[in-house]
Amino acid sequence: HLLEGERFSTQVGPLFLCILPCMRMQRILNEGPTRAKRGKPEVVQNGLLRPVTLSRGDLYKPPTADELNQLKEAESLFHCSLLKMQMEELLKEVSLSERRKQLIDSFVQSVTEQLQTVPQTSDMELSDLSWLSGGVKVPFVLVPKAAKGKFHMAPPISVTIIGSYPLGTCTKPGISVDLAVAIPADVLHPKDALNQRYPRKRAIYLAGLAQHLAASPAIGAMRYSCLHGNRLRPILLLSPPGKDSSSFTLRLHACPPPGFFKPSRFHPQRNNIRTDWYTGLGSSQPATSEPPTPHYNSSVLGDMLPSAHLQFLTAVSSQCAAFAEGVALLKVWLRQRELDQGVGCFSGFLGSMLLAYLLSCHRVSNTMTAYQLLRNSLHFLAFNDLTENGITLAKGPDSTPSLAEFHTAFQVVFVDPSGHLNMCADMTACTYKQVQHEASLSLQFWDDPTVDGFHALLMTPKPMIRTSDHVFQLCELVKLQCCCKKLNLLSELMDHSGNYVLTALPFILSLLQRGLGQRVRLLTHSLTPDPEVSILLDAPKHNTQPPLSFGLLLNPEQAASVLERGPPADSPKAEEFRQLWGSRSELRRFQDGDITEAVVWEGETTCQKRLVPRQLITHLLQLHADIPESCVRYIGGMLDDVIKVGREVCSTGEEESLKVVQSYDDLSRKLWTLEGLPLSITSVQGAHPALRYTQVFPPVPLKLDYSFFDREKLSRSLVPHEVKPCPVYITPIQVICHMEGSGKWPHDRVAIRHIKAAFHISLGELLTQHHHYTCQPSPTHLDVWKDGLVFRIQVAYHREPQVLRESVSPEGLLIVRDNAEAQALEMATMQRPLLTSTLHGLQQLHPCFGAVCRLAKRWLGAQLFSDDITEDTADLLVASLFLQPAPFTPPGSPQVGFLRFLHLLSSFDWRNNPLVVNLNSQLTGEHTHNIKNDFIASRESLPVMFMATPNDKKVSIWTKQAPTVQVRTHTCSTFTSMSHPISYLCSTLYTVVMRPPLDPYDVLIHLSPKQVPLLSQAVDPPHATFSRGILAGRVANTGGALPVIDFNPVTHYLAELRDAFGDLALFFYDPYGGTVIAVLWKPKAFTPLPFKTSQMVARRVEVSGEEAHTVPNVEAILEDFRVMGQGLVKSVEPRTERWVV
Amino acid sequence: MAPSRSKHANQTCVIPGGFTVLSLQFSTDIVAQHKICVKEHRVRAEKTTQRPLDRTLFVLNIPPYCSEGVIKELFSQFGPVQSVELREKPGSFEHSGPKLAKYFTPAQKQRFRVGYIVFQKAISITAVKSHPHDVPLVVSTEQRPVWTGLQKWIHQYKQSFAQPDKLQEAVDTFMQDYDTRKEQEAERQKEEAEEQLEDEEGWVKVTRGKSGTKTRPHSEVSNQKALQKESRKRKRKELMNFYTWQHRNTQKEHIAELRKKFEEDKQRIALLRAQRKFRPY
Repeated sequence: HLLEGERFSTQVGPLFLCILPCMRMQRILNEGPTRAKRGKPEVVQNGLLRPVTLSRGDLYKPPTADELNQLKEAESLFHCSLLKMQMEELLKEVSLSERRKQLIDSFVQSVTEQLQTVPQTSDMELSDLSWLSGGVKVPFVLVPKAAKGKFHMAPPISVTIIGSYPLGTCTKPGISVDLAVAIPADVLHPKDALNQRYPRKRAIYLAGLAQHLAASPAIGAMRYSCLHGNRLRPILLLSPPGKDSSSFTLRLHACPPPGFFKPSRFHPQRNNIRTDWYTGLGSSQPATSEPPTPHYNSSVLGDMLPSAHLQFLTAVSSQCAAFAEGVALLKVWLRQRELDQGVGCFSGFLGSMLLAYLLSCHRVSNTMTAYQLLRNSLHFLAFNDLTENGITLAKGPDSTPSLAEFHTAFQVVFVDPSGHLNMCADMTACTYKQVQHEASLSLQFWDDPTVDGFHALLMTPKPMIRTSDHVFQLCELVKLQCCCKKLNLLSELMDHSGNYVLTALPFILSLLQRGLGQRVRLLTHSLTPDPEVSILLDAPKHNTQPPLSFGLLLNPEQAASVLERGPPADSPKAEEFRQLWGSRSELRRFQDGDITEAVVWEGETTCQKRLVPRQLITHLLQLHADIPESCVRYIGGMLDDVIKVGREVCSTGEEESLKVVQSYDDLSRKLWTLEGLPLSITSVQGAHPALRYTQVFPPVPLKLDYSFFDREKLSRSLVPHEVKPCPVYITPIQVICHMEGSGKWPHDRVAIRHIKAAFHISLGELLTQHHHYTCQPSPTHLDVWKDGLVFRIQVAYHREPQVLRESVSPEGLLIVRDNAEAQALEMATMQRPLLTSTLHGLQQLHPCFGAVCRLAKRWLGAQLFSDDITEDTADLLVASLFLQPAPFTPPGSPQVGFLRFLHLLSSFDWRNNPLVVNLNSQLTGEHTHNIKNDFIASRESLPVMFMATPNDKKVSIWTKQAPTVQVRTHTCSTFTSMSHPISYLCSTLYTVVMRPPLDPYDVLIHLSPKQVPLLSQAVDPPHATFSRGILAGRVANTGGALPVIDFNPVTHYLAELRDAFGDLALFFYDPYGGTVIAVLWKPKAFTPLPFKTSQMVARRVEVSGEEAHTVPNVEAILEDFRVMGQGLVKSVEPRTERWVV
Repeated sequence: MAPSRSKHANQTCVIPGGFTVLSLQFSTDIVAQHKICVKEHRVRAEKTTQRPLDRTLFVLNIPPYCSEGVIKELFSQFGPVQSVELREKPGSFEHSGPKLAKYFTPAQKQRFRVGYIVFQKAISITAVKSHPHDVPLVVSTEQRPVWTGLQKWIHQYKQSFAQPDKLQEAVDTFMQDYDTRKEQEAERQKEEAEEQLEDEEGWVKVTRGKSGTKTRPHSEVSNQKALQKESRKRKRKELMNFYTWQHRNTQKEHIAELRKKFEEDKQRIALLRAQRKFRPY
């Protein structure tokens, strides 16, 4: 402890020093009018940041000594002070307003008065509930039925506010105010703690209160719930009447009078539920051999201590000024991680207690700010394992149970000030591990200057579906009953008073943890939410609980391994291994000579191997817990179908991509060794998505059926036949081949093009001569037919962009001016190859990077956005998810990556923020700061989506052309509507996500499927298939006639449409097998324009008097759609109900 | 100002601006018609012989599937056509660079274009302008079909093959041409340089003319470099931290910078607050 304390002080010391100036800074902020006059904060206009402009006088006026100090100090912690200001704003958002406090106070007052008037009833049997009238039910599952004892209603002896509200740590949203109602002592009996008598009386008392309050007009809706999902501790929820009904809820807790039960009765190793009573069998056992009931004990004990806890916390918080704010921040942090609600949650109360603990053992000081309190509590959580070394707030070693005793009974131990109660009684070890994991993750990115720490820390929600790589659900929870039986959990079931879900959960978790072992970094599970039922309904049965969800955070190196290697056959551990895996375990002899136990899972392709955890989990659950496979709904590869390549072998393209890359490597080697070129090759670089594993459908080696095609007369190359279906589409894979610089290169743009053509010819000749590849040179490229793939080699000369930029003015002055042509060339020959190699490297680090890119691009295609968010842009967006995952970890499965991609698109504030993609971690904090400032300074002139990379800090070359503003808003609305339904874990609805919504478009052009070469890639597999001139069988490496390359009628058609009508309409198409082109008229397309010779494009003239106006000639345009796509277009469907000319 | 002529004939349609509207349809079985506007070409400044003023017809809104050849055929009914020039925007005639082989001419975009049709006789222009409005010109007929869509793309694909030897030949001829041009240029420059040398008696001939006597043209970059060099030199000579006012100035600058940073932060916060960006959920 001492050592830890030292480390802590060294770490926190400087931090503490540096927070003081921040406070001062805050004061400047709050100073108000005098500063506001100077600062002119009206720079924020319609939600867009503008560069700050201060007048000379403002900037250079002599500073006062005070201001000088403040500025100096703020400078030294710029990053931190911004964070501090942001937190202050956040706290303002979550804290309660005065108005709301008044509302709460008056409502509490009226409820208290109502409660004092509860009528007294006569004594009756506990099991007799006939006195309850008005359909009010008891919020308790009365199993077993038998119960002794007397009960009568009486007004409470006291009503007090407890919990977060009086402490000042109550935060929005979901404000709940706790009210403790003390049951009079004469209703209870000192031995009532036994056999659920007290919990039942408590529930019945609540029902009595509900019955009484139901008549009152001062109270709105009433529901039952239970405290943190514990069915033994029902509470009554009251809402205020009228329009304030949703602004807060009042929670009534019924408690025993102070000091009524002796706390020592509830020692975690004592029994308070007798087996014979619970089972109803008469075999009475001696009290000593009864199993302990720690969870039941703590649930009763928890009722007795709230006011003591409140006193304790009030005392602590009065010492520390920032206590309430610290707790509020911690609560926000927990809530974003879905840890603060449900059974076994890390509630806000635990957060307060944790801070109190840290204060009491001087790990934080009383003078710290909320920011530091949060940081230190996260630090504590990250480095202290409460599952091994519990902590206690109790002062002295009196008669209370020891920590060791707590550890035997509970998984996580945090003992309250009284020393009797474990406040983490219901928490599973997995939940605590999750808290720990989150805390250490938060600390990692907190100080990273390239990450928006505040946003990642407190503003980003982390739902399980976006956090965990794989998620599975257990439905039909009734099956868990058999599971309890199988695992022989009667005493635990008794302890949890029949809640078989909670009983079985820790055992299932530990089973899975054992089985998954090194495959997962973290196993998490959803916390069952608190049920809320009307007071007129019976208490919900255990089987009505929502399905349990489990999340797996995979270890990418090991998760996909098909082999589970166990201990050697003769070792004592072998038996344990066999027991765990059952019949799947078999003896195997390995190449190194070992004979060990091993389990081998099925899986050939990466896509199948990724789902090994699924096989493993279903096997284990079936074997050990009697949970059939049908109950496990596994959501790990639910979107894999849309990017499946081979229809016969299930594969999502990893293997195919690898083949392409291997073939390319071979080609590149051969190019390097070519001899006889006039200039030598200086680099060979791939520039195609297939060469960075991100092509949606990677090219597959093809064997051609020559009889299907026509032949070109001279070169005998294959050409498409007019009558037959469009031949198979062969993607040319671009390879950029840089030639060495030399004085021989001409200094003229046209001459360079000719020289390049000459290089293409001679490269082609050499490749044919030495390696017998079929080659076809052209002025712009050289096509090489190799291994059933086509590589398109483009020769590049590194000075060509420079030559394109130069021009000579009439005065003979050489001017250098940037132009589109030079940029396009630079993009194709330099930036794209560089991006390809960088992303290729990223794929080596994160094996599922390619798959995420492919899913994302497939989705963009299906939503008809492929042309607006280009392939490179999409790849970069996905790369940013892997490079800056905070607050997540890098995606470990295609599915989670894809979901985060959707979330990024829908939630990122493109207007005010640049997306910084830190490739190869080349950007430092200073860089990102500069990028942001440059961005704000020239926001108006920058593209709609601005992405900065280390090589491109100011221009955002990849998004310069597209998307445009209209498309961006259009897409954005789709994203927000699309990313919603998927969060419902819909496993069967994936095609809905992928199916393009065609409603918003004005004209639909239906294409004839016969002429769409990529038809087989469509989301919905086509009904009819066409022969496209390919044969099955082994692909020859070299030789053969040149196939039809890059011939896709649809691309030609789209290009012609956009050229001709690009001013009037937008054209959308799914490049992966779409059979519909969707047309959207531009918003201003139909407004009449005055007649001008330069604006007479597909328009007709309307004359009114002396004025001539033109409007689009829509009839002729629709006809042109048909004419221009003759042979390809099936029909043109104008949706005239959507527009008029 | 256009003469406000009333519709003197029922069939022709003249709009303000002096254009006559004609109809054009792709083939006879298609109902929809494009409206093309024609007018005699009349630009004062233009002096080229390519567009003789009295014989040139200016046409607007020519659909993308009408190539030069199609237009020539189409307007031959009004009289023999000498040449057709299609452009994306109206404008004066431009000379292109040296003639390129077909492999190296960039592909044209499929846009609506404007055309300049030069007839052999001036009378053809009036014939066009009096063509009735409701009798459309037909682009594709059985005698001379115009390919669009799939047929056209397959044809284009077939045409895209370049024979390596033909291509090589094109490259060679161009490069020879290029080399001779370069040589001529070099010779010319050499001559110019020689002219400026002293002759035997020590006289230099001063000529009026282009200043470009250097072998390479001036470049903007080198000009800038020279300027920078100059200012650097000046700066080196200056003492930056010598006088008290200089020291004071740097301090002032520093404080100004800090103030600016602070204002930036304040603004950022204000914006986020305005957008309710601090609401965590």
